[in-house]
Amino acid sequence: MAIWVGVQVSGCGIERLRDVGFMSFSKLFFVLLILSVFAVPIFVSGVFGVDGADGAASAVYRAEVAVVSAYEAVLDAEEVGADVSGLLAELNVAGGYLAEAHVWFGLWDFDNATRFADLCYYSVEDVRSKAVELKNEAHSLWVTDSVVRMVWSLIGVVVVVFLGFVVWRVFKRRYHRRILGLRPEVVSSES
Amino acid sequence: MNLEEYRTLFIVATLGLALVAASPALSVVVPFQVGSQRFSEFWLLGPGHMAEDYPFDVGVGEEYSVFVGVGNHLGSSEYYLVYVKFRNSTQPLPDIGGSVPSSLPTLYEFRFFVGDGETWESLLTFAFQDVSLEGDVVFVGDVVINDVVFSVNSVSMRDSEDEGFYFQLFFELWRYDMTMQGFRFHDRFVGIWLNMKVS
Repeated sequence: MAIWVGVQVSGCGIERLRDVGFMSFSKLFFVLLILSVFAVPIFVSGVFGVDGADGAASAVYRAEVAVVSAYEAVLDAEEVGADVSGLLAELNVAGGYLAEAHVWFGLWDFDNATRFADLCYYSVEDVRSKAVELKNEAHSLWVTDSVVRMVWSLIGVVVVVFLGFVVWRVFKRRYHRRILGLRPEVVSSES
Repeated sequence: MNLEEYRTLFIVATLGLALVAASPALSVVVPFQVGSQRFSEFWLLGPGHMAEDYPFDVGVGEEYSVFVGVGNHLGSSEYYLVYVKFRNSTQPLPDIGGSVPSSLPTLYEFRFFVGDGETWESLLTFAFQDVSLEGDVVFVGDVVINDVVFSVNSVSMRDSEDEGFYFQLFFELWRYDMTMQGFRFHDRFVGIWLNMKVS
């Protein structure tokens, strides 16, 4: 019994020793893995500037979205007849900055890319609201103008139809009178 | 002419005049289109702002300039993009028939908005750096466009027929497509041939 227990104990001890060795390797591996997971982004961003690239890419994207959104609003305003030349000039400034941002991004100069993208974003920020204002103004003007045109057109059509009717009546009366004037009369031939 | 015919004439004349009187109201409902042909102009001018004296014989240490311009006749304000690219005579140009832009990388770009019936124009300066000759091959390392240096690493073999080392600086016109929510190649490109002189 004692021998069996001893064997068991010694067996257990051996097993534990193995476990301890295995555990220490796995622990070490696990710790290294965790460390590497945290360390890799630091090295990668340090060497390749991934953080800068991501930041620049999102800044450029934000600027692009803002420019397109402003452009859509300007088109809406233009469609209802607003004078959008001033807004187009503002959009052109933003477009210039956005082009610069793309150029610098292509050259991996993420600081300049971000700087120009931000300049673009802030220069176009209020263009959309100005375009919406212009659109509303132009729309109310368009409604007033349309009502005036409709009313004058209606008055014009009524006057034309009325005058046409009057002229027709006068013409018809004169026509009958002339026709009646041409009616042959029976004249006595006895003299 | 009898009375019936006169009546018909009166009715037609009155209706015609009524239509004229109603035209301001009709113009609100029915859009009258004037000049239905819609297109974009795309041009390149020399340094004197004329279609002449384009840079041709080029080398290191000198700056050259051209004007690139766009005219909008598409009926509404447009958002354009011009890509500037550089190639040797064997590299691909855009395919106008197939609406395919050149696969070469973009060096420089312009983004701008042009109102209907209006034009846009910009000066572009360019120069070359790191140019070398080895046998019958010229190597161009950098192109400097508007003071920004772009690495192109392009080579050109000697053209025995035209006696020179030829490269091309070309410009592609793109237009923002609202339905696609992105830029689409607008089937237009312009460019100039450059003969690289190496001393």
